[in-house]
Amino acid sequence: MRLEKLPAEMAKRLSDLECPDFKTTPWVEGPPLKDRRVAIVSSAGLVVRGDKVFRGRDADYRAIPSTTSANDLLCSHISINFDRNGFQEDWNVVFPLDRLNELAAEGTIGSVAATHYSFMGATDPVQMVDGAREVAAKLKADHVDAVLLTSV
Amino acid sequence: MSALGHYLEEEGIASVAIALIRPQAEHTRPPRALWVPFELGRPIGPPSDPVFQRQVILSALGMLVEGGGPVRIVDFPDDDPREAFDPNWQAPLNPHPNPPPQAGEGEFGVPAAATPSPASGGGSGWGFGSELAEAVEAELGAMAPAYAASCVARERSTVGLSGLPPAECGAYVAAWLRGERPASPVVDMSPGLALRFAIDDLKAFALEAALIPGTQPSSKQLGDWLWNETVLGAGLKLLRRTILAGDDDRLKAAAAFFVPALRVPPGG
Repeated sequence: MRLEKLPAEMAKRLSDLECPDFKTTPWVEGPPLKDRRVAIVSSAGLVVRGDKVFRGRDADYRAIPSTTSANDLLCSHISINFDRNGFQEDWNVVFPLDRLNELAAEGTIGSVAATHYSFMGATDPVQMVDGAREVAAKLKADHVDAVLLTSV
Repeated sequence: MSALGHYLEEEGIASVAIALIRPQAEHTRPPRALWVPFELGRPIGPPSDPVFQRQVILSALGMLVEGGGPVRIVDFPDDDPREAFDPNWQAPLNPHPNPPPQAGEGEFGVPAAATPSPASGGGSGWGFGSELAEAVEAELGAMAPAYAASCVARERSTVGLSGLPPAECGAYVAAWLRGERPASPVVDMSPGLALRFAIDDLKAFALEAALIPGTQPSSKQLGDWLWNETVLGAGLKLLRRTILAGDDDRLKAAAAFFVPALRVPPGG
């Protein structure tokens, strides 16, 4: 987002939003992309139709199987101050599963995870740590070694 | 988002974040982040543009094998071409014979200053909008064919947060506009929460009705139409303003999520 396109007050609020102050800088390397198994983890409050929608600043997460159809993915992010038209027209704008499947089919990446995950991005990130560690364990069980993080 | 990358990387999984707000990525210092200049809500860029989306994704995934970290933030160079105005796009039918008033003028000829508040209205609430409620439901009905056609073209809908069909969402919101205080139509939701999600669904319903196959409207075009030209937009702004002027804190908490900040009229 080019913040200069927003009203100054809103840009300042977004720019100055309190963020975690991590003392470490973890860094994991791995094999070439053609051998990676890739998952999407989103903070867009995504939820599979019929699953429990995010109701506020929830700290937990939702699982999104790779078999989910575009018609069954909803966005329940609490904020109304971001565009939803893009997602309404094409879910790949937020959840690029079709693009990942194409990259896997052509061999650019190794494979696509069996399950993807979503958090509620308006939640204090510090409260997400337990859920993130649960998700990490599930991703490792699925042999995922690369995560594409998408926010809104 | 960048914090999630930190947590995952701590657990041994490589990650790359697509960051929309660069200062937040700079403050959080994730292992890797691709900053994109797109509007909020569009991390992968333009809808219905697989070639552009692929460029964004490959730019991000490429960072996983490029080294140079920890804490590497790269800028994606290209803007979203779908921010451009599409002169071929036309709004779906607005059946109401009188356009809704502009912000601050009050709705349907009722001066804003004369709008009853829950506190002053007494009785069942702020019974001010029977005409408006009727017009909203009529407009939603008129949008239904366009919504259905759009769903067929996209093979999907994002309506569904409340769990109610669009017509029931419309009826519930209309009841509030008539000044009623209806019970929640959703078993495990409070009235305010059900109202918030019903309104989310109606906004999605209207905006999806406006996704006319063969056109490429910008989000600004769609937002200008919804909030400046539809009866639904006028009704939601009035409902927000009225509830926020009342004294029900739970309802007020819900009403804060009816209208985007950039669409709230001056003075609320």
